[in-house]
Amino acid sequence: MTARALRRLIVMGLIVLWEVLPRSGAIPELFLPSLSSTLLSGWNEAAEYRQALAVTLSEVAISFAFACGGGILFGAVVGSLPRPRILIMPMISSLYAVPLVILYPVFTVWFGIGPESKIAFAAIYGFLPTMLSTAAGIQTIDPQLLLAARSMGATLSQRLVRVIIPAAIPTVLSGLRVGGALVIVGVVVSEMLISSAGIGYLISRYRTILDTPHVFAGVLLVLAMAVAFNAAIKWIERRCAIWRTGTQGGQRAAREITASPLQPAT
Amino acid sequence: MGGNAMQPLANITPLKSVPRAGAIEVRSVGQVFKTSTQDVVALSEVSLEVKPGRFVVIVGPSGCGKSTLLMMMAGLRQQTSGTVTINGAPILKPDPDRVGVVFQEASLFPWLTAEENVEFPLALRGVAKSERRAKAQDALRLVGLDGFGKRHPHELSGGMKQRVSIARGLVQDPPVLLMDEPFAALDEQTRMTMGDELLRIWAATGKTVVFVTHSLTEAVYLADEVVVMSPRPGRMVDHLQVPLARPRTYEMLSGDAFGRLRDRIWRHIKKSA
Repeated sequence: MTARALRRLIVMGLIVLWEVLPRSGAIPELFLPSLSSTLLSGWNEAAEYRQALAVTLSEVAISFAFACGGGILFGAVVGSLPRPRILIMPMISSLYAVPLVILYPVFTVWFGIGPESKIAFAAIYGFLPTMLSTAAGIQTIDPQLLLAARSMGATLSQRLVRVIIPAAIPTVLSGLRVGGALVIVGVVVSEMLISSAGIGYLISRYRTILDTPHVFAGVLLVLAMAVAFNAAIKWIERRCAIWRTGTQGGQRAAREITASPLQPAT
Repeated sequence: MGGNAMQPLANITPLKSVPRAGAIEVRSVGQVFKTSTQDVVALSEVSLEVKPGRFVVIVGPSGCGKSTLLMMMAGLRQQTSGTVTINGAPILKPDPDRVGVVFQEASLFPWLTAEENVEFPLALRGVAKSERRAKAQDALRLVGLDGFGKRHPHELSGGMKQRVSIARGLVQDPPVLLMDEPFAALDEQTRMTMGDELLRIWAATGKTVVFVTHSLTEAVYLADEVVVMSPRPGRMVDHLQVPLARPRTYEMLSGDAFGRLRDRIWRHIKKSA
């Protein structure tokens, strides 16, 4: 059996267990409602969930745009200039150890409890890995490639467009993958903490009234969102497969970054 | 080197333009690196004249400044003193019209195919796609890689990558081809094959070639003239003619004349070590 088939089997098995265990009474429905009752309660409140999903998705999209734009821009500058790199990189790296979520109450004071505070929080959350991997991607470009381009008469802007950007793409993508995942985490967590809309808010509200099927319906939606996002990034990465087999340094940096303790300290 | 990549000599079509070769003149060139504690003299008073169409090899131990000298001829590094001219005009910055460069690690762009890599210098100057493609095809055929144009570098062997790199160096038909230890990363067999290939390409195009290596055998085997350099400070210690007949053959490697030349270079290098 291939690893792929085995993986599918495991996922199928988990889905079946989710249905069977609560139904047979092995797990009380209050702790884990069966898959069918979860889906049913989600369906019954479809309008409410749809509305919440729209709020969450728009917050994720805007935060992601900020995180990507800022992360790539800032990372490119920091990666290509040694002085800011020495100055800033240690600070950024230590920021990782800080559970940024402790700042969220402050954000609500600054931006209110509407979408603005979620966007600000999630954007900063996703910004860090995007910036770090872009900086690493730029830093690890083979200097020989730049020398070769120069020997062929490439101007500075030609080197940027034709060498530096394509060479940095694989590391930037892997940063986007982590950054995007953190943006989703940031939005949902902040909705759960202080909010009046969004999926996180729904989950948290249904939890306080012990309505577990509705809680799990929200959880399923977040899960679907994360899986869909990951699939999208993977699709883009596959389209850039040539890049990925390319610069060894870039690949190594990408691996190091995704392997480093990036998991949110929420 | 995969056998299928080899082309019989008869199939080789030289680049369309008339072969032209360049004269290089290096006049009392010096290079000093300033560090915080001291000045390091990397090159001291190097003078060298390379006549058009010659195959000149610069050989010496690491740190003798041979690559630095080559980078000056390529316009990739400015000397502290002295002048470098090619066909009478000084080299102050990279000039792909006059000089093609081949580096040690083939330095191909991994996201481009072989032919796109060869087209790269033409693309930089905005040459039309069809003309670019045609020139790249010619150059790839010249280096024996006809039919490999659509492959990416990771699908090519080390020797094939260097062939692509040579094709890229020749695609603008510059009078001078500079090569910085191009075969150093290749295994022994590939290295021998590539040496013969390079001599064939050189004979077909008539370029002036300056080739840097640390291999004495490679130096004598390839060269018309060998320039020997020694370190601390980097300077020229000998400039010898290689009177061996062409085409060079494997049998010459064990001949007396070959041995004498190699010994002479070795004595210089041993002295400086």
